[in-house]
Amino acid sequence: MASAAAVEHHHGPPPANRSSRVEPQLLGMLLFIISEIMVFGAFFTAYFFIRVVNGAEWPAQGTELPKLIAGVNTAILLSSSVTVHWALESAKKGNRFGLQAGITTTLLLGATFLFIQVNEYVHIGFAPQDHAQGSIFYGLTGLHGAHVFIGLTLLAFTTLRAFRGHFTPEEHRGVEVPGIYWHFVDVMWVIVYTTIYII
Amino acid sequence: MTHSSVMRVPGLVRGAWATLLGIAVSAALTVAIRAAYGYDPLFDGEAITIVSLVTAPLFFLVGIGAFSEWFYWAGGKPTRPEDHSSHGAHSWKDYFKVNTDHKVIGIQYVVTSFFFMLVGGLLAMMVRAELAAPGSQFVDSNAYNGLFSVHASLMIFLFIIPVFAGLANYVLPLMIGAPDMAFPRLNALSFWMLPVAGTMMTLSFFAPGGSFATGWTAYAPLSTEVPLGQMFFTVGVQFAGASSIATALNFLVTIITMRAPGMSFWRMPLLVWANFSTSLLVVIATPFIAASQFFVLLDYGLGFNFFVPEDSGDVLMYQHVFWFYSHPAVYIMMLPGFGIVSEILAVKARKPVFGYRMMAFSLLAIVLLGFTVWAHHMFVSGMQSWIRVPMMVTTAIIAVPTGIKIFSWLATLWRGVLNVDTPMLWALGFLTMFTLGGISGVMLAMIPLTIHVSDTYFIVAHIHYVLFGGSLFTIFAGVYYWFPKMTGRMFDQTLGKVHFWLTFVAFNATFAPMHLIGVQGMPRRVADYPEQFATWNLVISLASFVLGLSTLIFVYNMVASWRGGPRAGSNPWRALTLEWQVSSPPPIFNFDAVPTVVGGPYEYGVPGAVHGVFKPAGHPAEAEPAPQEGRARQPAGAVAAGSTDREQ
Ligand SMILES: [Cu+2]
Repeated sequence: MASAAAVEHHHGPPPANRSSRVEPQLLGMLLFIISEIMVFGAFFTAYFFIRVVNGAEWPAQGTELPKLIAGVNTAILLSSSVTVHWALESAKKGNRFGLQAGITTTLLLGATFLFIQVNEYVHIGFAPQDHAQGSIFYGLTGLHGAHVFIGLTLLAFTTLRAFRGHFTPEEHRGVEVPGIYWHFVDVMWVIVYTTIYII
Repeated sequence: MTHSSVMRVPGLVRGAWATLLGIAVSAALTVAIRAAYGYDPLFDGEAITIVSLVTAPLFFLVGIGAFSEWFYWAGGKPTRPEDHSSHGAHSWKDYFKVNTDHKVIGIQYVVTSFFFMLVGGLLAMMVRAELAAPGSQFVDSNAYNGLFSVHASLMIFLFIIPVFAGLANYVLPLMIGAPDMAFPRLNALSFWMLPVAGTMMTLSFFAPGGSFATGWTAYAPLSTEVPLGQMFFTVGVQFAGASSIATALNFLVTIITMRAPGMSFWRMPLLVWANFSTSLLVVIATPFIAASQFFVLLDYGLGFNFFVPEDSGDVLMYQHVFWFYSHPAVYIMMLPGFGIVSEILAVKARKPVFGYRMMAFSLLAIVLLGFTVWAHHMFVSGMQSWIRVPMMVTTAIIAVPTGIKIFSWLATLWRGVLNVDTPMLWALGFLTMFTLGGISGVMLAMIPLTIHVSDTYFIVAHIHYVLFGGSLFTIFAGVYYWFPKMTGRMFDQTLGKVHFWLTFVAFNATFAPMHLIGVQGMPRRVADYPEQFATWNLVISLASFVLGLSTLIFVYNMVASWRGGPRAGSNPWRALTLEWQVSSPPPIFNFDAVPTVVGGPYEYGVPGAVHGVFKPAGHPAEAEPAPQEGRARQPAGAVAAGSTDREQ
């Protein structure tokens, strides 16, 4: 067998040639975000058909969307984009306190956002089963909430590693890549907030 | 092995236990939630099944060890770069474990998808047995609907799409001179989601009320109001789709960042170009089918109102979202085949591919245009009728890049010295059959004709000319072509040719008459039909059984040749592309040293033409002339930056 010979000199593979300046991990995250944008795109398509094509009343008759609380929540989420950037810059400079403080604050801000969101669900006064507008509202904000949760999970791992002494000015992809995802989650929220609550 | 040690060793045994655990957890979770909301009854089998469908596969994937390394990272332990300790397969048992070697994963993919192809084929045989005569033979109409629905879903989501990913998984890294894919662990995870999806769809036959029976299109609101079997499709598609997106992402990153020195975009083999284009389609389009099935899942399981018109829902929205994926999906199922055929025709005609750049550009054109035609599937759906005209025009236009490819292949053959062996026969068979399928496709783009033949056997004929005569023929071509590379053995050419001719004749005898009875109005997706179509249907059924049997020749040839075929040399087809410049099967890490590419991949018949050169392993500095050494030593990124092609 050819494989038997290979076992004897068990060396690693030859290093792959790098044919692009883009980091594979960054490119991978970018492509993942593109496909995520398309998932949101499909949900916005549903929104478009129900609200624009069919002209359903928005929000549904007799319901109201808490624009103000959601606006405060938007500010909370956006500020977490700043803190995650701070964490990355600190990691690049080798400032461990900044990294730990930045990433912890991000985690807390994100969790606060989710908490307020769930609280809003409890008090909003309609359910997804009531009408298509409700389905769209819960569908889009819920989809976004799920992404916040994924982002928080990634950031929780980063936080754990930051406190265990990982990440250096040379090696900080573990902050950078989840950070990019977090920025995506934030930008996507602005779009969701604008289309669902404001317009 | 004691019980506790079984749970510590990742593998199928632990995976099976984990699946059971997953079902138990789902049941507990469902009961707890129902108790919290005060629902009655507390123990609802349907709800538990739906939750289990989503949850148990995740437990399974953890159980077989697909996530082990990621848990390691997440726990904050020091990460080690992929150490390739699980590379290579040393016995057949290794194919049943999580493996990060792209060559092992490629074979896992191909064999698994052919397994589901046989299951799907068996279902097709049952469909044809039922249709052999008018009236009801042995299934009732609902069971019949289940047969063709599961047939189509398995063939599309578990065979054609993944088998192309499997072939490319094996040969693409070799072709571009990479030691592996960019993300080997993600690659393994992508594969293991497939058996999950396939098993789920197949198991739907055991669901109360029978398997899902709404076709592979699963139109809402039909799909939100049928028995539980539907959910096996809805959730199964999610796993197949996630697998396909992860693989596509992996291919794109591999192609962009891991090409050998000197391999500019314009020196990539067309198979690489084809998978580059396909992967773009998958990353952009597949999320739409995921979303469409999320909507169905929410409507079905939680009583949402996406498709309930009385509550302002919109049923046509399903079709728009679904076809925004599923039209590009026909190119996801075709472009990799275009790549395979380009490789084979050039090698077997001993000529450069005609219009190489046009071939690449037309792939990209198809990617772009593929997103502009989705509503041609909805001409009779009752959507706004003005949408039909632009969709008719774009659909006709998309035939242009496809036509460019067909004429380029013909020009490649022109005055070539054709070596018509088994892979070439399949490639030529593809060329003829796909052209016919393409022509009926252009006919179907025309609104009046579509209105006439909508939901008739004309559609069935068209899709099988495209997906069977098109995609499947290229799959057979590719499997025969790379079989010596994958196994190190040569298959039986005579049996291969018998397989081709039997399939070719039986295929045409099966599907050509369907055009005729379709135009005469025989409806598709119905278990019964009027007496006037009886003769043709009997002919079709008999031909289809021959078609089914011809597949067994293929299976026998593959199994027997793998076990005892004569040794194949490293390059039996005298091809130039890099995968043929290493041993068969390739060494465990593909290359002892990364090759340097110095010319195009298809310079057949050009005296002294070279595609890639190898430095003697271990002595990189000695044997090479200075200019190429300098080139290979340039820092990462410099090669691509210096070439003319960056990310076109
Ligand atoms: Cu189409």
